[in-house]
Amino acid sequence: MKISRVLAGAVLVALCGTACAPGASKEASGAEPSGPVKKGVTDEKVTLKLVSTPESGAAVKSVIKAFEVKYPQVTIEYEDNSVDDYNKALNLSLASDQAPDIALLNSVGTTVKDGLVLDLSRYAKAYDWDKTYPSTQLNQWRVAEDGSTLGTGGLYAAPAGFSLVGVYYNKAKAAKAGITTPPATLEEFEDALAKAKKAGELPLQLGNQQGHASFAIQLIGQSADGAEKAAQWTFGQKGATFDTPGNRTAADRLTAWKKKGYLPGSANGTDLQTAVDKFTKGRGVYFVDGNWDAEKIGDKLGKDAGFIAFPSPKATAIGTSVAYAISSKSKNADAAAFFLDFLHSPEASAAEFRAGFMPADLTAAKPQDGTVMKDIVTAWGRVNEDNGLVGFNNNATATMNDKLTATTQELLANRTDTDGFVKAIQDEWTKTHG
Amino acid sequence: MADTLVRTERPAASAEARRGAVAAPHRKGRFVPLLYVAPALVFYALFVIAPWLHSFWISFWNWNGIGAATWAGLSNYTAVFEEPALRAALTHAFGFIVFYTVVPVILGLILAAVTSAVPWRAMPVIRTIIFLPQILPLVAVGVVWKWIYGEDGPLNQMLRAVGLGSLARAWLGDFTYAFPAVGLIGTWVSTGLCFLLLLAGIGKIEPSLYEAARLDGCGRLREFWHITVPGLRKEIGVACNVTVISALAGFDVVYVMTGGGPGYSTMVPGVQVYQLVFTAGRVGTACALATVLSLITCAAMYGLNRLSRER
Repeated sequence: MKISRVLAGAVLVALCGTACAPGASKEASGAEPSGPVKKGVTDEKVTLKLVSTPESGAAVKSVIKAFEVKYPQVTIEYEDNSVDDYNKALNLSLASDQAPDIALLNSVGTTVKDGLVLDLSRYAKAYDWDKTYPSTQLNQWRVAEDGSTLGTGGLYAAPAGFSLVGVYYNKAKAAKAGITTPPATLEEFEDALAKAKKAGELPLQLGNQQGHASFAIQLIGQSADGAEKAAQWTFGQKGATFDTPGNRTAADRLTAWKKKGYLPGSANGTDLQTAVDKFTKGRGVYFVDGNWDAEKIGDKLGKDAGFIAFPSPKATAIGTSVAYAISSKSKNADAAAFFLDFLHSPEASAAEFRAGFMPADLTAAKPQDGTVMKDIVTAWGRVNEDNGLVGFNNNATATMNDKLTATTQELLANRTDTDGFVKAIQDEWTKTHG
Repeated sequence: MADTLVRTERPAASAEARRGAVAAPHRKGRFVPLLYVAPALVFYALFVIAPWLHSFWISFWNWNGIGAATWAGLSNYTAVFEEPALRAALTHAFGFIVFYTVVPVILGLILAAVTSAVPWRAMPVIRTIIFLPQILPLVAVGVVWKWIYGEDGPLNQMLRAVGLGSLARAWLGDFTYAFPAVGLIGTWVSTGLCFLLLLAGIGKIEPSLYEAARLDGCGRLREFWHITVPGLRKEIGVACNVTVISALAGFDVVYVMTGGGPGYSTMVPGVQVYQLVFTAGRVGTACALATVLSLITCAAMYGLNRLSRER
């Protein structure tokens, strides 16, 4: 009896403590500041905290050094955390009392909706970012009022180098298989895969444990449908659909390639890094991956490493910028914005390129002839000429990466077909953007 | 486990306690026992009961963990039973009971009966080896087994060495084999615990029972079935309790090895709750799933305790 009374007391206490809706009240951050911004920094000593991930942070570390030399009154503390942990903890850390001033934003997610980062439009205007970057590059970080539709609205992050996904190939293996010119269309690409198979090689290396087959699907899809249409879907704009001829072809092709033995049988049990290792050891003539692995592939394959934008008359690529946002809680937003502006300076551009990213200022990209980096810069140029850069399908909603992982695994294992795949992806999209 | 041992080793203690209870019916004394349990009770209420109630409360809201929440009513609970991925997670948790409880208890019984019947000198070594998986951190266990099951891992190398290369595959990437592959690790871990528990239990079964059975002409098998198994009723109950909880509440091994994939074929509630909170930002649904899981666990415990109680 006593126990039950004590328990009842505990229940009461707990309920009193929780008897309101969880979470902060709406619009905790209040109105955004407006009016003109202070450009540059004063002589006052300022300390900024910047958080990033090791991959993306490699460049920013040297940018910080260059910045601190130029503006010694500013100290920038750098911290990083592995991608998985970083993405999971970012919102909590931005909402906490120890929020960083500047934070890497890998996807918009709910970060903007929850008012955790500042609208940078005022700074963009003051620093003329619209003129520095092509619109397709900034649009990925524009978020509409609803907090989930991208491509229009306020700007919430500034780019610090770009990534792009295309096709790596092993020049020696391709030559041995009789593939003399790089394929320029999907049909030619399939012919090349067939030739590679005939030559006894694995045509297309793939690791799909983390769902990277979605890269190949998106590239086939958007090169058929056009970058503009594909971008509408990744941006979550009203009326867009995944059920397009391009995406259907993509799912069809992928299952066909699996059946023909163009893909490794163990793809679903192989993660990206293992697939990269296998490709660098000569298993696979082609490999769809991003420029973040360029250094590793270039080091191991040397002169044999090549890279092309996905074969298509109009070049497209999946790509996004490494982008930094300013916390709503930052007390030194002006200084932080000044640092963001520094990210496209020649010094910063050179550092970004050294770390494998395509810099805003392409004159800073001086790759050596015959290297894979040279190929990547060429592909990047082609893609921008055709205005073909599209953000990752995986970032279309907070859960899209998980959904793409699960459904591409099902697709490769014949557990679903093109209809089921396209429907599952569109249904997931509708949950957020419908 | 501890209280079973204490009770059986010291029958005198409980007799003393009974005498004490009769001798001290002071009114003041009624609060004294409460004082003794108070520290533990306060911590239990603060760190177990209150958070549980809090998460129960959150399960009625649509909340992403940071922004403003809106009332959801029971919609999070309908989602738990209607969304295929969430339902699959619950089903898999029950599937894991086979690997975490049924097989280890049966194996443990056989091992315990055999080793107690044959007085090997290597006994301490055998005990240690069988119990070893139990003391390893589960994350480490997951990492090691992920490597063993890997495409070029020892398991496939062994298969290829004996000419069964056609069976080799990326085990954790295969829709058919990923679930049993992950489940078997549960068996590997739990068997040691069950074995040790049951071995201790066999030690306290009255030897005269075996003697009597032998005089009556019982064979080893009937001895096992009619004396050992009934004599271990309580220990089997404890082993089932502990292992069923670890099957239902499992997280580490699956998270490290497959993250729930391929597809959703190894998804368990623990990993699903984690993903719902940290990736999907659906804290309410996650809490609903956690609540359902904790109720199912409580129900399973209640059922098991009734079954293992002495008639």
